[in-house]
Amino acid sequence: MKAGDCAAILAHISAYLDGELEATECDAIERHCRECDSCASVVAGLRHTVGLCREAGSAPLPDVVRAKARESVKKLLAEKKS
Amino acid sequence: MAASNRAVTKTRNSHLSPEENDTSDTRVAECARLVRQAAAGDRDAMERLLMQAQEVAFRFSFLVCGHAQDAEDVMQDALLKTYRHIGRIREPEHFRTWLYKTVRNTCLMKRRRRVDEPSHLLSIEQGGPASGDGFTAVDVEDPAQGPDEAAMNTWLGERLRAALKALPPSYRMIVFLREMEGLSTREVAKVTGISEANVKTRLHRARGILREQLEDV
Ligand SMILES: [Zn+2]
Repeated sequence: MKAGDCAAILAHISAYLDGELEATECDAIERHCRECDSCASVVAGLRHTVGLCREAGSAPLPDVVRAKARESVKKLLAEKKS
Repeated sequence: MAASNRAVTKTRNSHLSPEENDTSDTRVAECARLVRQAAAGDRDAMERLLMQAQEVAFRFSFLVCGHAQDAEDVMQDALLKTYRHIGRIREPEHFRTWLYKTVRNTCLMKRRRRVDEPSHLLSIEQGGPASGDGFTAVDVEDPAQGPDEAAMNTWLGERLRAALKALPPSYRMIVFLREMEGLSTREVAKVTGISEANVKTRLHRARGILREQLEDV
């Protein structure tokens, strides 16, 4: 990967974020982003996007759904007990 | 010397912030511990596991399959199958992939059984060339019943919901499993039957689309 090539940098960003690249490749991306605002903003945007998804994934479900689920668990365990 | 060694050593550190870097290994281990406790008769562990199974079912059903009216059935199915599965489980470490696979299959089966499903969607589900995951051409519907819009937006955020909805369905499942549920690439490949390389390609593209959607607003 050449440090100057935006397309090559962008193609590797996902792998970079997931920690799948060699240290030298990470350096190349970081060096490039210090000089290229456009790629730097893509990296920042992707980080933000991934962060939002992960946050959403761990957010508690709506109360009505959890209440329903809890009720089903109680009912099942009561049935199995008797 | 040490410095040059370090330069060629593979880095496995994610370049996401620490809280975004919760590894799937940790989650697998936690889940397996709960499974063992439940299998040994710990009622509290069993309750937590059954809650988790239903929550996964709801999220999958709502976010990937998009049929909110099916969510309740899929939850019930996940509840019963998990209860039975715990009673005879051999490899607690595989519970998580088992659960996601089970829920995915239930969603697919429900889709096939729907009498009102247009036939052109059914043929796509059998797995077109670009799919391999069975959810290729189905769009997310808004919920007709269950939690209201406000509750769903509080849960997910309106922008993220809209952005997920705009994703091609086969990408949506990858984003769901990998980003939202925190499965590893290998686990996602196991659940979906897609190769790990393909999971990575789809995730990369999906992240790009999501980023544009989220920045567009
Ligand atoms: Zn650039």
